[in-house]
Amino acid sequence: MMNFETHVPHWEWYYIAMYFYIGGVSAGAYSVAALAELFGGQKQREVARIGFTIAFWVVLATPVLLIADLGRPERFWHLFIYSKDGVPYINWQSPLSVGSWALLVFGGFSLVSYLDVLVSEGRLKSEPLAKILKLIPRKVYAIVGAAVGFFVAGYTGVILNITARPLWAASDPILGSLFIASGASTGAAAIALVMVRRHIASGAAFERLQYFDRVAMIFELGLIVLMIIVAGRYAAPLLFTGYGFLFWVGTVLLGILAPLQLHRSGRIPGVTVADPVMVSAVLVLAGGALLRICLVQAGQ
Amino acid sequence: MIMGSNMAECHPVAFRWPLKAKTDHGAVLMHVDPRFTRTSALCDIHAAIRAGTDIVFLGAIINHVINSKRWNTVPFFKEYVVNYTNAATLVNPDFKDTEDLNGVFSGLSEDGKAYSNASWSYQRNPAPASAIVEARTFTDLLLQKVPGRPKTDPSLKDPHTVFQIIRKHYKRYTPEMVEKVCGCSKEMFLKVANTLLDNSGKDRTSNITYAVGWTQHTVGVQIIRAAGMLQALLGNIGRPGGGVLALRGHATIQGSTDIATLYHSLPGYLNMPDARKAHESLKDFILTEAVPLSTSYWGNYPKFAVSYFKAQFGDAATKENNYGYDYHPKITGDHSHMPMFVDMSAGKIKGFLIMGQNPAVGGQNARFQRKALAKLDWMVVRDYYETETAAFWRNSPEIKSGELKTADIKTEVFFLPAAAVAEMEGSFTNTQRLLQQHEKAVDPPDEARSDIWFTYHLGKRLKKLYANSTKDRDWAVKNLFWDYEPRPSEIQNFRIKDEPSAYKVLKEINGYTWEDKKPLPSFANLKEDGTTVCGAWIYTGVIPEEGKNFAARRKADEWISPEWGFAWPANRHIMYNRASADLQGKPWSEKKKLVYWDPDAESKDPTGKTVRGKWVAPSGESVDFAATKPPTARGKDNGIGFDWLSGNDPFIMRADGKAWLFAPAGLVDGPLPTHYEPYESPVANLLYKQQSNPVVKVWKVEGNAYHKVADPEYPIVISTYRLTEHHLSGVMSRWLPWLAELMPELFCELSPELAAEKNIKNAEYMTIKTARGEVQARALVTKRMRPFVINGKTVHEIGMPWHWGWQGRAQGDVVNNLSALVGDPNVSIHEGKVFTCNVRAGKRGGAA
Amino acid sequence: MAKGMFVDTSICTGCKACQVACKEWNELPGEPAHFKKKSGVAYPVAVNFTGNSYDNTGALSATDWRHVRFIEQFNESRTEERWFFASDSCKHCTDAGCMNACPTKAIVRTDMGNVVIQDDVCIGCKYCIPSCPYGVISLSEKTGTVHKCTLCNDRIHNGLGTACAKACPTGSISFGEVSELKAKANARLDQLKKLGFTKANIYGYDEAGGLNVFYLFLDSPTVYGQPEKVVVPQKRLPLSSVATIVTAVAIGLAALISFRERGMKKEVEKKANAKSK
Ligand SMILES: Nc1nc2c(c(=O)[nH]1)N[C@H]1C(S)=C(S)[C@@H](COP(=O)(O)OP(=O)(O)OC[C@H]3O[C@@H](n4cnc5c(=O)[nH]c(N)nc54)[C@H](O)[C@@H]3O)O[C@H]1N2
Ligand SMILES: Nc1nc2c(c(=O)[nH]1)N[C@H]1C(S)=C(S)[C@@H](COP(=O)(O)OP(=O)(O)OC[C@H]3O[C@@H](n4cnc5c(=O)[nH]c(N)nc54)[C@H](O)[C@@H]3O)O[C@H]1N2
Ligand code: SF4
Ligand code: SF4
Ligand code: SF4
Ligand code: SF4
Ligand code: SF4
Ligand SMILES: [Mo]
Repeated sequence: MMNFETHVPHWEWYYIAMYFYIGGVSAGAYSVAALAELFGGQKQREVARIGFTIAFWVVLATPVLLIADLGRPERFWHLFIYSKDGVPYINWQSPLSVGSWALLVFGGFSLVSYLDVLVSEGRLKSEPLAKILKLIPRKVYAIVGAAVGFFVAGYTGVILNITARPLWAASDPILGSLFIASGASTGAAAIALVMVRRHIASGAAFERLQYFDRVAMIFELGLIVLMIIVAGRYAAPLLFTGYGFLFWVGTVLLGILAPLQLHRSGRIPGVTVADPVMVSAVLVLAGGALLRICLVQAGQ
Repeated sequence: MIMGSNMAECHPVAFRWPLKAKTDHGAVLMHVDPRFTRTSALCDIHAAIRAGTDIVFLGAIINHVINSKRWNTVPFFKEYVVNYTNAATLVNPDFKDTEDLNGVFSGLSEDGKAYSNASWSYQRNPAPASAIVEARTFTDLLLQKVPGRPKTDPSLKDPHTVFQIIRKHYKRYTPEMVEKVCGCSKEMFLKVANTLLDNSGKDRTSNITYAVGWTQHTVGVQIIRAAGMLQALLGNIGRPGGGVLALRGHATIQGSTDIATLYHSLPGYLNMPDARKAHESLKDFILTEAVPLSTSYWGNYPKFAVSYFKAQFGDAATKENNYGYDYHPKITGDHSHMPMFVDMSAGKIKGFLIMGQNPAVGGQNARFQRKALAKLDWMVVRDYYETETAAFWRNSPEIKSGELKTADIKTEVFFLPAAAVAEMEGSFTNTQRLLQQHEKAVDPPDEARSDIWFTYHLGKRLKKLYANSTKDRDWAVKNLFWDYEPRPSEIQNFRIKDEPSAYKVLKEINGYTWEDKKPLPSFANLKEDGTTVCGAWIYTGVIPEEGKNFAARRKADEWISPEWGFAWPANRHIMYNRASADLQGKPWSEKKKLVYWDPDAESKDPTGKTVRGKWVAPSGESVDFAATKPPTARGKDNGIGFDWLSGNDPFIMRADGKAWLFAPAGLVDGPLPTHYEPYESPVANLLYKQQSNPVVKVWKVEGNAYHKVADPEYPIVISTYRLTEHHLSGVMSRWLPWLAELMPELFCELSPELAAEKNIKNAEYMTIKTARGEVQARALVTKRMRPFVINGKTVHEIGMPWHWGWQGRAQGDVVNNLSALVGDPNVSIHEGKVFTCNVRAGKRGGAA
Repeated sequence: MAKGMFVDTSICTGCKACQVACKEWNELPGEPAHFKKKSGVAYPVAVNFTGNSYDNTGALSATDWRHVRFIEQFNESRTEERWFFASDSCKHCTDAGCMNACPTKAIVRTDMGNVVIQDDVCIGCKYCIPSCPYGVISLSEKTGTVHKCTLCNDRIHNGLGTACAKACPTGSISFGEVSELKAKANARLDQLKKLGFTKANIYGYDEAGGLNVFYLFLDSPTVYGQPEKVVVPQKRLPLSSVATIVTAVAIGLAALISFRERGMKKEVEKKANAKSK
């Protein structure tokens, strides 16, 4: 039996898949925050603040995971500067190259937004900083930041699509979209979770957030179906292997359908759920993680 | 036709030429082999035959050819065969063929163990009156004993002609018989036979190439004879693109045969003095060995022999002491490899000096041979790595099984590091008899030394040791001519200063005048009076003058490349090339033009007077014939050598100048190739009552049990062979990770049919068993192996490469634990290519 | 003036000299995965028997830059017997997926058209590995970087041919000017077609913008383990990006609907009421 399969990169799930995941959560949270900021105005300030805060702390972890998987971690800076001539380098054909830069920019945005949160909440008292932050109206970097955020959430999917591995190549061009949707839903869920812990998970603002989360999840569901259709026979590893099981039960059933159900009626037939809001948020987050793990691993 | 060789795998570099013939000249390549190999994959035709049935296949081609329309209507064949072969020669009426004696020839002794070849002789005219009254020289001796010319019937009608005998002998070798015995379909057989026939003639020639797929049989020599006969009948010998090509094995194994590592021959294919023959004195030696050959170029035997003895003993070799012949060692029996180990295991051999061999793996019935090593007092191994042979006393299978205990082994083993080829100067002689010089690139590391260094300094020490001995038996050592001190130029660039001179060795082999030490340009210059020395007459001319080494020449051209190296004899690349021209000396055809007679060319004859006409070869090929003997010249009835030979006798090393279809002498197992089953065979001989070679060499000793014919316990045929990825016993390949990983483990090739029958799974372990031993191997189940239908019943054949041992980076059982000590009667080669066995799934000792 | 290699599989004997020559010249060790310690033996011994014809090295790797494939094809009755050998390596694609994917410019093309990995630049992100449509590149645990055939970069820039071509006893691999090699390949193809090898074809003229290392096959490329149609991954990048952006916008709109004052009202109130009941 002959194999003309391309080689597998042997990316470790606990590095790369997780990096894809938390990158998505962070970017998702940021984008939701920024959009809430943008469209929701004052009413959504709370959601936005929490979103920016989450985005900042989570994004800090991403480079750690990315670098940890490198064969030569100490050379991570080659991603930005061509080591032979010291000039900054970007390879527009390489989602990984562009994505790395995007992550850098996104890091900057989430820092600024976070500082803004601190200042406006008066947790950080610094006149000069406040002045600087005043210079650019929130709305502006909310827009740009949201865009960059979506990019960060999506490029990891594109990374997978733009390869010659059967599953990843066959699912092109869906993964980018799928990861954005997932990023958005997990981002929203993360915010919701914090709100629940802070006991402010109620009222119009929260409902809007939940509503958005549902839309995102439905999006995600649609994209998954679409992915299976375009991938055709190459989707096999997602249907029949152990990852397939994780995918359908973990991501789809528990990570999407169950939360949707909980959102609708606050309960799942047959099981009693103490705190449906919190549980659904946790499920969404877990589902998002499994989504990345399954797609990265099943493709290898 | 490649038959009895896996050329692509075992001669990968040489194989480029058949491929070139195919891609550039549209040649048809055929492979006749039990297995479908990497050679078969590149050939146009692959015919699978059961191992050990080649003579049936070839005999049937002979039968097919001589009865074919083409052969009987195209005049070329008759002209060539009647004049250049002994087809027309009349054989002694007492001769009885296998047809008359149910599978044996006349002359078989009572006990059926040996032949007397008296009745195989030619009918001859009365011996001529000799010109010599009293013999002053050895040559005179020969001139006094010139036999009468053989009688012939050019019409080939006489029932005693070789041709009629052959016709009768091969009558039963039919395509149907091939199908029944070889398991090869009639159609496939005819395809092969006709391809050969159609591609032979004036304008086309066919070549047959073989190697040890033919030799390693109890009828090995006769298989090759059959090919020779076929080629002679097809007019394919002495002509470009024709011939029977032996692919030699080890690098320069050809050289080691020429310079006689063989126990029974002296360098240059002179015979070894033998205590069992009439060899008391040099005179007896020459009478016995040279008289029967005197009417061929061997008429110069005395010159070759005396020059050899003179080379051995130098000044001490005088006419009085027969040039040292009286002190030269004589053999007392069969001292070839297998009987040597039989003697060793009987404790008859005390010491063993082993350079360039690894019998613990390569030797037949290797368990027997390893155990024999334990009977020695001492053993010296010179090699690159600790070979299985060198390590037998500490970790051989026999030690592991407890059969041998290290503590009880008295053999003292010395391991000496050997130099590798790039670390020494010397020459290789390859398959085409081409000598090629290789320089020394670097010194060997540390204590490692070349074999020539070891041998030379050992010799010097022995001479010192015996310097004061007065015993006759020590004379030879004391007087051995032993001066190979290096010339300054040979050592100045190297650390090792006492490396002997390879040049001096080659110069002595080439020959020179004893008086002024001038190299001889040709063996025609050799004398029988002790004024010339020559280590091996066939190499004379490689150093035509002082300081000039033709083996180092590197001028290539598009064809013969006469100035690339040096092809013995006398730089003749195609032997007997007089046969490339017709009776009148004209080329058979423009296309196949090589050597021809130019009637107008001026030249000097041996006596120096100018004559008209000579043999020429525009390609630069040297003529394998008397340069100025006209094609129409009649030989001198009472002469010897070229005087006796006629202008149409191309085969100048044969006593009648003809290619021998029928061998009146020289073979101990019959004048004509005859099918006998391998000594161990699952089937009875379907051609004759006689099952196997009647005079086969067997050793019925403990630890060497044989299987019965059609032994129900051992119904499967096994053949052993090589892979490109490894070299022989593996010492030169299994230690190299790069090669080890290409073929990591011993495996056994078998057909899906047999695998299913025995429930053996691909890549899993299986066990192969014979009365000699048991080995485990990974199964390689492949359709490249096929079951044969022999006389209606299925016979399975498995195949095993035998490169593995328990040392090195690729390890596996020793396949030769399975094989037996059994030999061809002519040359005592073993039958590693075919014996019987049984197989089962799982590891040795039953584990899964 | 690109240099490359033409691999005429119809005269390959599967001798693997090319594989060994490659390792010798490039000082590549035996593949670590092929050797294991064996009890009672001081050094590791080879354990990589596969049972897949005569192929025990299996695939290209960081230490095997060349790999000879063995394809046995026999019909039931053995009336059709074929054993193909095909020596494989990096194809030095004109449009090289590996190079397109590399974020650090570790993979570059030299003036002779060959694609080489700069070991001192590579960070071992492994993205080039799945980006090569031919499964050529692999990571070395030892160096933490990826490796592949360089077309003997050092040799060809010093007037020598490639080591594998040099070692090939049958001339199955020939090195040279791509244009000249193509002429040679076409001639051989014609010859084979005339001899009745109707399925004979040349692989690599069109694939990946043209392969500087291309092949003559006697049957379809898939028989020899080469993909029939290769798409260089980055060719799909534009569509993939657009699709992603569209989604991003769509999600943005979703957010707009969700968070904007009006429109959400009813929904929210319904919920609020539902709760208060
Ligand atoms: N790579 C490599 N090359 C080598 C060597 C090596 O070890 N490795 N060894 C060298 C040496 S020393 C030698 S002698 C030569 C040997 O060169 P070869 O004789 O070509 O090699 P083998 O593989 O021993 O046998 C050749 C073929 O004989 C077939 N065969 C077996 N029995 C029969 C039979 O009864 N009839 C016919 N027609 N075929 C039969 C086998 O299937 C096998 O394919 O190779 C030399 N070259
Ligand atoms: N069953 C079976 N048995 C066979 C065969 C078969 O086909 N089937 N083939 C037979 C044939 S044809 C042959 S030729 C034999 C070969 O059998 P062997 O000759 O015993 O096997 P080799 O591995 O060639 O052993 C040669 C040794 O010489 C060493 N060597 C190489 N060069 C030098 C040197 O310059 N000096 C010194 N001192 N040592 C050197 C090598 O390292 C190696 O250890 O095997 C025979 N045995
Ligand atoms: S090993 Fe030497 S002799 Fe044998 S094929 Fe290779 S080059 Fe020729
Ligand atoms: S074959 Fe693969 S590794 Fe080689 S150049 Fe093309 S894409 Fe790169
Ligand atoms: S592994 Fe090295 S060569 Fe490959 S893409 Fe990453 S940096 Fe470039
Ligand atoms: S070109 Fe050089 S590096 Fe590439 S496979 Fe051949 S020998 Fe190896
Ligand atoms: S060296 Fe040449 S003949 Fe041998 S396997 Fe490689 S390509 Fe084929
Ligand atoms: Mo041999």
